[in-house]
Amino acid sequence: MRRVREFIDGIDLRKFRFWIQLGAFVLFVYGGYLAIDLGREIPIFSCGYNDQHGGMCYFMPLQHQLARPWDRLFSAASLGVLSGFFFFLLWFIIFNKAWCGYFCPLGTLQDWITVLRKRLAIPYGRYSKVQFFALKKVKYIFLAIVLLFPLLIGAGFLDGEWRAAFCKMCPGRVITPMFVGDFSQWAIDFSSKTALFLTAFGVAFTALFFVGSFIKKRFFCFFCPMSAMHYIFSPFALLRLKKDGAKCTKCGDCYHVCDMQIFDIADDVKSKNILRDDCILCLKCVAACPEEDALHLDIVDMAIFRSTKGGFAKRMGIDLKEEVG
Amino acid sequence: MVKFIKRERGDLFRYSVSRFLFKNRPFLFALRVAVALLFFYGIFLGFYDTSKENIFTTALFWGIFWPFFIVTTLPLFGRIFCGICPHGFLGKYITRIGLKRTMPKWLKNRFIGLMLLFLGWWGVYYTFPGVLRTPLGTAALFGVMTVVAFIFYFLYKEMAYCKYICPIGTVLRGYSKLSFTWFGSYNTACGECKSFDCAKACPYGLSPFNFNKKRSMDDCTLCMECTDACEAINFRLVKPGYAVYQRFKPLKAEVWGYILILAAIPISMAFHHGLGRSNISDSMPWARSAEWLKGVIDLGNVDTTGMFAFLYATLFTVAAATIGMWIASRILKKDFSSTFYTLGYAFAPLFILASMAHAWEFFFTTNSARIVEGMAWGFGFDLDVDPMARRTDSWLIVFHMFRWIAVGWALYILYRRFGFIEASRTRKLVAFPFAALLILFFVGVNLYRDYVIDTYGRKPRAHHIDSQHRSSADRAHRHRNIEIVYPLSTDLLWLSDTSPFGSRGMRRGMRAGVPKRSVWLMTGSLGDPKCADTDGGLFFAVDANGIVTTPKAKSGVCSSVSFEMPESGYYNLYYLHTFKAPDKEVTKVARYEFKRFDHGEHPVYDKKKMAAGTIDEVPFDILRLRPKDETFYSRLRTGDEVSFKVLRAGEPVEGAEVTLSTQFGWQKLQRSDKEGIVTFRLIKDYYPEWERYNKRFRERFVVTASFDDEDGRRYEATYFGKYTPSSSEYTSYAYGLIVAILIMLAGTAGVFFYRMRINRPYKEVKIDEKS
Repeated sequence: MRRVREFIDGIDLRKFRFWIQLGAFVLFVYGGYLAIDLGREIPIFSCGYNDQHGGMCYFMPLQHQLARPWDRLFSAASLGVLSGFFFFLLWFIIFNKAWCGYFCPLGTLQDWITVLRKRLAIPYGRYSKVQFFALKKVKYIFLAIVLLFPLLIGAGFLDGEWRAAFCKMCPGRVITPMFVGDFSQWAIDFSSKTALFLTAFGVAFTALFFVGSFIKKRFFCFFCPMSAMHYIFSPFALLRLKKDGAKCTKCGDCYHVCDMQIFDIADDVKSKNILRDDCILCLKCVAACPEEDALHLDIVDMAIFRSTKGGFAKRMGIDLKEEVG
Repeated sequence: MVKFIKRERGDLFRYSVSRFLFKNRPFLFALRVAVALLFFYGIFLGFYDTSKENIFTTALFWGIFWPFFIVTTLPLFGRIFCGICPHGFLGKYITRIGLKRTMPKWLKNRFIGLMLLFLGWWGVYYTFPGVLRTPLGTAALFGVMTVVAFIFYFLYKEMAYCKYICPIGTVLRGYSKLSFTWFGSYNTACGECKSFDCAKACPYGLSPFNFNKKRSMDDCTLCMECTDACEAINFRLVKPGYAVYQRFKPLKAEVWGYILILAAIPISMAFHHGLGRSNISDSMPWARSAEWLKGVIDLGNVDTTGMFAFLYATLFTVAAATIGMWIASRILKKDFSSTFYTLGYAFAPLFILASMAHAWEFFFTTNSARIVEGMAWGFGFDLDVDPMARRTDSWLIVFHMFRWIAVGWALYILYRRFGFIEASRTRKLVAFPFAALLILFFVGVNLYRDYVIDTYGRKPRAHHIDSQHRSSADRAHRHRNIEIVYPLSTDLLWLSDTSPFGSRGMRRGMRAGVPKRSVWLMTGSLGDPKCADTDGGLFFAVDANGIVTTPKAKSGVCSSVSFEMPESGYYNLYYLHTFKAPDKEVTKVARYEFKRFDHGEHPVYDKKKMAAGTIDEVPFDILRLRPKDETFYSRLRTGDEVSFKVLRAGEPVEGAEVTLSTQFGWQKLQRSDKEGIVTFRLIKDYYPEWERYNKRFRERFVVTASFDDEDGRRYEATYFGKYTPSSSEYTSYAYGLIVAILIMLAGTAGVFFYRMRINRPYKEVKIDEKS
């Protein structure tokens, strides 16, 4: 048992993550070719515009369902909406935000772009604290678009062209189908002013996605409404990121490896649950933490991956015995 | 007396805007004068012009005063309307010059006011409908109340009219407990106070410094007189319902006010207006009682149904409240009175929230227009405005949800107020549903009303008969425009899924269960279709699995055939009619094909099953061949090539004349080749302006194949279809790429120059110390 523990705590997280991400990318982007369909309640940006998806992003069906006329939406006919939501929650509570850090195809793509940048030896950018706190609100605006616009359509305030408005604005719609050879989403739809605006926004956002994620790690995740949605339900999730503030020395290693630049991971020594709305639960912080058990990943209060001195040394290539001796 | 105090957060007197609105003396005076002027002008106009023309008086009293000043402000800000009420405003001056006597004990009874409202207004409202809502009735009511009020103000001190006689005084006092404001004082200042200026200033003889301690605002009407006397008085924002969560001395009239108003308004309305307007209204007990009474005595103008509805509503409501509370008091082992009056405050939200929502719904559907028109009329203008929403707008359901919020809140208040009763947990748990009996009754009445309306439908409303007539006349007129033609052998016949009445062929009933489709037999031309009579013809329906049935046409103005589509796949409908013309026999076949697809079912596109086919029952047929790459998502689009195959008795026909004609009149004729195949390219033949462009527009077309065989027999077959604009018509890659490249370049350049700036190479700066 102890050896299993040690093995897990000393795991090479970079490799582990790479293979899981690759597998998930194939599963969700090419799943259709493999006759895999995990349903339409997947809590990641596995875009439905990609014909061969192996499971669809929950926002697409959600927006369509919420756009029903209100007399129908608030009737028993919408039990289907609730059951869909139930399945979404079921998927979500298993992995919590690890969906972002391990399974999201759009997130994986950004990580790969980051690898490319690294190879080209171009330094990455970081936000200042002011920028950080201003920009992190954007995802809630997008979440409001996801949830409120369909409701406004159902109420008759918005034109049907606004249906699934966020999908039209989302870079996932443009990028994901490209992997199965469908480039049609790059086009701008001139059929109406609304469609023109939404598709142009989508294309522009996609362009920003490429530039942004090249110089800023996980650029898009900062604005992702799914991440905001996750955060609302994360208190119910099984997988949790916890911190023991007493053991923290505020060395800042975790903050420096954090793709999402979360200040609290190093600064906050009071909260036990250290998962923040920007977190993608990539666990880089746990792997980078040199303190014994200061950060750990729990499943229902049972630690499965902990920060350990040994694991830290192993990952950093330091021979502990030598140092001691 | 305090001249200055540091105001806490949430004190409305702390912020300049709310301080101005609620405390500024000149502003409040001007507001009161304006309201009083409107009030008396409304009464005056009511007497001056008693005709229906006078829309000002009713708009003022029933469009603004009741729904907004009272129903809406009460659960939000409390009794702020009392603060600007013309009676109270002028009453203060009248009391000052009056006799200032003490009100006799028998008049100091809050039930006088309550009963004036309950019987004097609502009783009359149901028994003699409409009387009090005419301009004259309204003016007379408010005129008389004003005179009575002024007499009482003149006779008695401390505004006794407001407390005991005013019909809405006690009720407002009760419902204001739900608001999220609290009028009190800063205890730190009041603890050291020896002068009691606030109590001296209060025209009602109350002591505002005591409100916090008593956890009750008593009869305070928020006239704000005391706030000028002492700065320690505050007007705070609190949690909604803060006042009812407190332990205070219950006032019997308040609890009875909640119950009686609940009986008089939501329950009576549900009985008389909700259930009373359903199709089974005659079997309701109040209708039966009224019927029975009619046999005994004729009461003339009295609306006996309304009277009995009101009576029964009161009876049931009072019974539900008292019986439930009595049982609860037995279980709790407490006396009835203390249980009833402690827990009775839980009934407060039921009426006021539902009514507020109703007032708002009414505002959007009718009242907004009525207020604007009425106000304009009152000042000599003539306006005609549309209401802000139609009754059928689906978002209005938001307002219906308030009654459920009210129920939830009532249950919560009940739970909180159970805390003031000393009993064991188990006893409280058992007693809870009984104490909540009235709340459950309210839920039951609402559910039952909705159920009855859904199941049995709503009766046409009496005062809407005009419009009902108009719409049925409209329908008849529209029907008359639809010509029914007995087709001849020379007429074109086709099956169309576009309803001749304008609505789409898709049935609304498809929402739950199996989707259905209705198809009509049409003749004439696509641009000017007419309904064809289906006598002498036969229908064949082919389902997704190729099973043939013979459906019957539904009779109606235009006969139609409906078929169910249980699974994804192609469904076909044929109409076969053989004409015995003098020179030759003509066989006509009309075909309608529909691809049903529900992506929720994840169907598999089976090429064999989806292939075009024919049936033995039809001697002559036209098939649309499937493109190689067809999927469930495929749809005919402008620019596509479509191939048709002509078959006679299952064999390809060479040389048949095949014509494709579109809705806008474009036509093309071709002859079938050896394999009986013809290919057309669908063209774009209409060019709307950009504003009116619809990328989902479905242009209709009919393909006609005709062939004369060696025996002199003529065969004709039609195929009805639709096609939508191709996406290349309205989408552009070029622009998409230009936008993307420009943004990428701009972004890259931005990052580049930003980095250039912050990474400026180190420069040595030399400072000359001498200068």
